[in-house]
Amino acid sequence: MTDATYEIESIASENPHAGWIKLTMGLGGVVFLLMMIFGLIMRAGQGGIIDLDPVIFYQLLTAHGAGMVGSAALSGAAILWYFVARHVTLSIKIYIIFLGLFLAGVVFILGSIFIGGYGGAWTFLFPLPAISGGAWEAGAAVAFCVGYLLIGVGFLLYYLEMAYNISKSFGGLFGGLGWKFIVNGDSKTAPPPTIIAASSVIVFNSIGIVFGAIVLGASIINLLIPSFAVNALLAKNAIYFFGHVFINATIYMAVTAVYELIPEYTGKPWKTTRLFAIAWAAVVVFVQIVYFHHLLQDVNMPAWALATGQIISYASGVPLIAVTVFSTALYIKGSGMKWDLATKLLVLGVGGWGIGVIPAMIDGMVSVNKLMHNTQWVPGHFHTYLLLGEVAMAFGFAAWLGRDKSSQDQSGLDRFAFQAYLAGGFGFVLMFFWSGASSIPRRWAVHYDEWQLQSQIATVFAAVVILATTLFVLRYVEIHFDERNTPMVHLETDEIVGIEVLSSGEKQLFIILGEALLQEERPVVFISDEPELSLHVSWQAALFEHIRSLNGSCQIISATHSPDIVGSFQDRVIKIEQCIRDVH
Amino acid sequence: MQTTILIVSLILMAVVGVAYARAVYATDGPPAGPGANKARSALLWGMIVFGVILSVGTLREGVYDVAGPAPMVVNVSGGQWWWEVDTYEIPLGQEVEFRVTTEDVSHGMGIYTPGMTLVAQVQAMPGYTNKLVHTFDAPGTYQILCMEFCGIAHHDMVNEFNVLEAAE
Repeated sequence: MTDATYEIESIASENPHAGWIKLTMGLGGVVFLLMMIFGLIMRAGQGGIIDLDPVIFYQLLTAHGAGMVGSAALSGAAILWYFVARHVTLSIKIYIIFLGLFLAGVVFILGSIFIGGYGGAWTFLFPLPAISGGAWEAGAAVAFCVGYLLIGVGFLLYYLEMAYNISKSFGGLFGGLGWKFIVNGDSKTAPPPTIIAASSVIVFNSIGIVFGAIVLGASIINLLIPSFAVNALLAKNAIYFFGHVFINATIYMAVTAVYELIPEYTGKPWKTTRLFAIAWAAVVVFVQIVYFHHLLQDVNMPAWALATGQIISYASGVPLIAVTVFSTALYIKGSGMKWDLATKLLVLGVGGWGIGVIPAMIDGMVSVNKLMHNTQWVPGHFHTYLLLGEVAMAFGFAAWLGRDKSSQDQSGLDRFAFQAYLAGGFGFVLMFFWSGASSIPRRWAVHYDEWQLQSQIATVFAAVVILATTLFVLRYVEIHFDERNTPMVHLETDEIVGIEVLSSGEKQLFIILGEALLQEERPVVFISDEPELSLHVSWQAALFEHIRSLNGSCQIISATHSPDIVGSFQDRVIKIEQCIRDVH
Repeated sequence: MQTTILIVSLILMAVVGVAYARAVYATDGPPAGPGANKARSALLWGMIVFGVILSVGTLREGVYDVAGPAPMVVNVSGGQWWWEVDTYEIPLGQEVEFRVTTEDVSHGMGIYTPGMTLVAQVQAMPGYTNKLVHTFDAPGTYQILCMEFCGIAHHDMVNEFNVLEAAE
């Protein structure tokens, strides 16, 4: 008995919300995979490998865009919630409502596309949803917008709960943002990196979602009452403000996994420095004014807006490359960090993000944008910082969630999956850059013959990425869902074994104490017959004390042949022999 | 131009990627020395200074194409899923001001050379006329492709015009 300590590694052990987070990451992983398959089908269609009806292509395009942004947001939100819950108390009920609204939104969106035929792209650029050229009815577009609104409402609730609790613990949102710390420089007031990231995302993404909700509301009214017209340029500004902020928020949420998990491997905390807080403050500002770079070909925009779009596109890359990427490299170099699937993917995520922003900065220049806007250069850069950035971080976090059970078999399969993801991912995005430089427009269902080679090679790389992702997802599902809630035993030798190897006495103890723990201090009566069977003498004497220490409100009634079992409670023993004698 | 953009981008991506990979792979090597913070500051300030020079240099002359005193005006209108151009013959070397409108949703007018290289583009937005100024420096048949997703026949929204050498 002495060589084992028990830990019920149920969903409740590490983090109070771990169960819901694990479920979310599982859903996110499966949707990522499905959307990648949609992407592969589109690239194969563009490459002329398969014959794809353009109507289906544009539906897949819409689903792929909304689905990828959605699963990036969902996985980012799960990661952020998980780690913020390490620092402040959050209500799991709010998270469940968020998840419910999210899934309801997904149902509306999928229904609008695959039942209603909506194929107006995830950006729902006004007035396309209302003028489909006969491809879909207004109702389908309304369903799509309602789906977005449900997800937006869920996110606002999520951020409200987080903002309230961060404010309470860190002296208001300015405290959480680290702005107070920037001003006074007192390291005692420095919030943890995760709290700074969370506060920043809360601020800019809430504003982004509100603008998104306004333009969605206007679009819905326009769909129902076509005479209600919206200014197209104003609508485009609102849509791209929302879209830009929302997709960026997914990465800014996911990066908290790097701040929280890498230190578990290196033993060095990820410290909040003034530079770190200032970099995040810059992000809060930049991410909201950079969206003008989406409108560089709208020459009716004021000149200052277009110039701002170019300047801030460049400026946004500065804190990312000079602070986030550089500091991550500095932190890991010589740290002795152990490489496993989780650390590899998390470190890749930061690198992919930093590399992907470079072609985006270049595309943000007015003169370059004239030649690259809406070519495949654009999916080139956003696939780099999403596929090799956010998604890598999300699968890294997921791999970490399953770390214990896999640590003994840091398998060749993990290594293979990572290498395939890396090689497939880089090859895949390179084809987009080549395509962009070849002037191939994005979002075209049919590619001319001279454009097809890039798409064909991209299809092969996409298949490699899908293979790797399938391995990530299968590994995750196997760990978390096949053996759901299987208790594991941590031995003092650091070995982790299944409960089936325990002796009968150990199993008995596990069941009795586990039951006492799960009663959660409720006033219950615990009745047992000969609970001492198979137990070591020392455990017999300590058993009732331990039950009482796990649940002080319980009453224990036992029939036993071993008076030792009651330990210090000798005065509570009723001897049946004596009772029978008294009756006679 | 596109090739230059591609090469510059790939070089910068490779530099950042290799520097990052070298540092993170060296987990078992010596940790970053005291010079690392200085290097970070140098990178930070270097990027800021370069950004200022780049911004001033590229934005100094404004963000719009402005036509000279005598441009040839070409009106282009778009709709699901067609382009209409009021002049199909444009003289070589003549400055052209395209005035682009749409009858329904947003489109994007992309001008492609005979070799299918994109040379200029502008959005077409309901309620607005967007101007695009361009001077063609090679003769041939140019294509207009739609650059903004506009529905199920987006990829069929194509037209063409000719750039002609001036008759001697």
